[in-house]
Amino acid sequence: MKAFIRGIGQISPQQTFAGDFLENVTAYNTNMLFCIDPVYKEFIHPLQLRRMSRTLRMGVTAAKICLLDAAIEMPDAVITGTGFGCVEDTEKFLLAMLNNNEQQLTPTAFMQSTHNTISGQVAIMLKCKEYNSTYVNRGFSFETALLDSLMLIAEDNAHKVLVGGFDENSFNLHTTTDRLGHWKKEKTNSLQLLESKTPGTISGEGATFFMLTDKEDENNYALLKGLSTLYKPENENEVEQHVNDFLKRNNLSASDIDLVVYGLNGDARTDEVYYHLRDKLFNENAGAYFKHLCGDYYTSSAFALWFSANAIKRQVVPQSVRLGKAPSGALKNILIVNHYRDINYSFMLVSQC
Amino acid sequence: MDALIAKLKTQIIEQLNLEGVSPEDISPDDSLFGEGLGLDSIDALELIVLLEKNYGLKIENPAEGKKIFYTIRSIAEYITANGKA
Repeated sequence: MKAFIRGIGQISPQQTFAGDFLENVTAYNTNMLFCIDPVYKEFIHPLQLRRMSRTLRMGVTAAKICLLDAAIEMPDAVITGTGFGCVEDTEKFLLAMLNNNEQQLTPTAFMQSTHNTISGQVAIMLKCKEYNSTYVNRGFSFETALLDSLMLIAEDNAHKVLVGGFDENSFNLHTTTDRLGHWKKEKTNSLQLLESKTPGTISGEGATFFMLTDKEDENNYALLKGLSTLYKPENENEVEQHVNDFLKRNNLSASDIDLVVYGLNGDARTDEVYYHLRDKLFNENAGAYFKHLCGDYYTSSAFALWFSANAIKRQVVPQSVRLGKAPSGALKNILIVNHYRDINYSFMLVSQC
Repeated sequence: MDALIAKLKTQIIEQLNLEGVSPEDISPDDSLFGEGLGLDSIDALELIVLLEKNYGLKIENPAEGKKIFYTIRSIAEYITANGKA
């Protein structure tokens, strides 16, 4: 199963919404990263905007940017993936329940706290009555949305699929997950994330949409050639074997990969597997990483796909993401290797059209 | 009455998240729904909760609600008539 990436829209902790390709990256000295907001009024009518929470604004705007970028007005399907959904609205609603003793509850936050709010809002905005689905599968949320998109295209049920991944950060969420040991205890300069050898990482957020299509076009960014997931591997050797099999299924070997994009997040407990793969399989390949720019969240692999599609189209790997040596020739094949908390492993193959 | 109207304007702007609207932009006699401020049925629910929470007034009859929420002045009059101002 494969599909071309025709358009992309992304809101992230970097200036990714304005066509910038990580030339000027923003450094953070905090363990919580939040998105840089565009002027939402330029994308969403003020009457709709006033009722939208932050994540809804991010998601709808990213979808709009993607549609404009793809020059496609009406998709055949809208599919999203999210780990936590609309967290702030959920918190707002639950806090109101607690504070008001389950009385006098207002409808807005409750209505918009559901995970499928963004895909629904995008469909309403476009008056799109086609297939609409949202996947909530923790660290596989975006991957499952992608898989569904690829299957729709492969089975000829859709030709243009708007697919996105989004998750938002919040102080409550960060504090709660901090108790579980997810985040670094010491403040970290995000751009020096990999130099930190302590447990935990930095939390982040983002909303990324892609227009996938089965049509070849000179404006396509790249070809999403393969997608694979692996749940709770027993050890690094199992991951290595999985990568080998994945490449083999796509008629490629390690030497065909021009750039490996690793989901390194500076967590001393779980980064080792990436270094293992680099040492065992990709010792000669150029590398890149991305979580120092967007933080870690359930659907951060969407950021990696955004990066890889842009790198292929522009034939550039910005200095800010390089890990080790730079690619020596043309970027034809990029392999994304990512995992969320050593549980959800995903692999994506992005190739030149 | 004027003080209550000014207070209501601020509360409504905050509760309904009317971005870019200031109290001076709203006339106490503008209709809140339809042509005036352009509020909708979800806003009506928010206003019902606002009245209950801030003024202890419960509106249970929908027909009554239509009259009360016609303008900011009509809301203020309702609050005053019920001795909650």
